Amino acid sequence: MASVDTAAPRGHKKGKKKKIRRLGVRMDMTPMVDVAFLLLTFFIYTTSMNRPQTMEINIPPNNGGVEVACSNLMTIRVKEDGAIFWNICTDDPKKVEFKELHNLLSQQNQQNPKLITLLKVDRKGKYAMMVNLLDEFNVANITRFSLAPMEDADKRILAKVSG
Amino acid sequence: MDMTPFVDVAFLLLTFFMLTTQFRPPEEVQIILPQSHSAIKLPESNVMTLTISKDNRLFLGFDSQFMMAKLFGEENKLRIAVPVELGKLGDFLIRARMANPKLRTVVKGDKDAEYGITEDVMGILQKTQITRFNLVTDLERDER
Repeated sequence: MASVDTAAPRGHKKGKKKKIRRLGVRMDMTPMVDVAFLLLTFFIYTTSMNRPQTMEINIPPNNGGVEVACSNLMTIRVKEDGAIFWNICTDDPKKVEFKELHNLLSQQNQQNPKLITLLKVDRKGKYAMMVNLLDEFNVANITRFSLAPMEDADKRILAKVSG
Repeated sequence: MDMTPFVDVAFLLLTFFMLTTQFRPPEEVQIILPQSHSAIKLPESNVMTLTISKDNRLFLGFDSQFMMAKLFGEENKLRIAVPVELGKLGDFLIRARMANPKLRTVVKGDKDAEYGITEDVMGILQKTQITRFNLVTDLERDER
């Protein structure tokens, strides 16, 4: 590697001039290759090939609310500390653990395919809570849900239940 | 041992990685993303990113320097996002949509951000007729 070919010594020439024979030039390329590998590893480690994942949400335009029958409305309320309460229509809210939410959602939706889910998260709650719940909805194949602000009335209902 | 082919391949890879790497300017804030099972990829271009930081500050950013310069002035051209007040967000969104109607809106919130500010942001998005947007999340891996 890295040897440069030079012309082969030509045959004996006339005259007594001494021909300076050029030697095959050998270049040490090891440092260059070292640097190349260094750069290669650097670029391999810094390149991020994957783009981040996203979750798509469609919110309805402002105009026109839809009337929903009370029995088809399931309300999920999330308190500031992340506790989840659910109820249908105007029942008393019941507490549910996040792990059991998936079963609950699929069960309720099987019983009533027309069910619409309304999610109310406390303003002081965590953003991650909302993402987790929306993710649960996606996993449970619930496409009809809406987000609503939590009002004082909701807080009073929750306060009554949790005592 | 003749190492020439090996080195050739190394250089080929080197040029490949050098040409494909895109260097990003440092991020304005560090965001820890929440996790979800959604596997939709982030759109590649025409992205408008609304970043909500852990301490509930709001940043608006675009993926093209042209849009950044147009909305926030030449001095902010190279930044990735600019802090925006909640009250002025609506104006910015309308101006951004006028400059580039193909914009896709992406909300990138820290998992510890307050829900309240997200609610306000979604309210503003709704008011400005952006009814479809994406939430950036990390892929959650578990067995289901």
